[in-house]
Amino acid sequence: MAGKIIADTLEHSTAGSIATNYVVNGSAKAWGHFTMSSTTARDSFNISSLTDDKTGIFTADYVSNMSSVNYSPSTGGTHRDAVSENGWVLAVQHAGSGADDMTTGELSLSAHNASSALVDTVQATFQIFGDLA
Amino acid sequence: MSEIKVDNLTGKTTANDITVTVGATATASLEQGLAKVWSRFNGTAATTTDSFNQASFVDAGTGIYQINMSNPYTGNVGAHTTCSGAYHAINRSTGTATQIELGTYNSSHSSVDESRCSIISHGDLA
Repeated sequence: MAGKIIADTLEHSTAGSIATNYVVNGSAKAWGHFTMSSTTARDSFNISSLTDDKTGIFTADYVSNMSSVNYSPSTGGTHRDAVSENGWVLAVQHAGSGADDMTTGELSLSAHNASSALVDTVQATFQIFGDLA
Repeated sequence: MSEIKVDNLTGKTTANDITVTVGATATASLEQGLAKVWSRFNGTAATTTDSFNQASFVDAGTGIYQINMSNPYTGNVGAHTTCSGAYHAINRSTGTATQIELGTYNSSHSSVDESRCSIISHGDLA
């Protein structure tokens, strides 16, 4: 351990100051970018593994779990002209669909195309905000 | 109350690795948790309302927008999420290390300009 600073406020000489609770609460606790047909993320943070549950549904497991299920995910699919694997909507997978939806340790997401059918989108992204356990 | 006045925070062991206590005992990487790009823009007027780490904004066509970053990613692997007043707002390309391209679409999934758009992106800066 190199050292530890305990502080309530950080102040920059010109850019202003920020209470450190904004740093703690405002930082993403996990994020990921991957192709849904693969279980290897292109890049990620706090993700231990990806599971390809079935076409259009995957589950991301966290390294460090959240303190409750009341955290906030946001998602992004992709659309490219002349590409069939477009995921117009990437959403938290609903419960009872064969994969867990949101637990403290994982998040299941589903991608749907323009016909509302499940599809493995080529570029799935997500971030979560909340409190770690 | 304690206050630190400083212009730069740099990890002692590794420059971009500072650990923050974020729970009773849980810790997380400060660098990984910070948003690297965000922008609120008007896609109809092709103007940006406010942004962070955005060098320029390009209206690339009806419902197509490009955000060029001041400081680039290490690769084209930012995790972007979007929100807008349109039916869909979504990534449009694989992107590059310096550019994020997104689009807005109506309920028929056709490109349409939208005035209320926002994006946030996390990833690893070069």
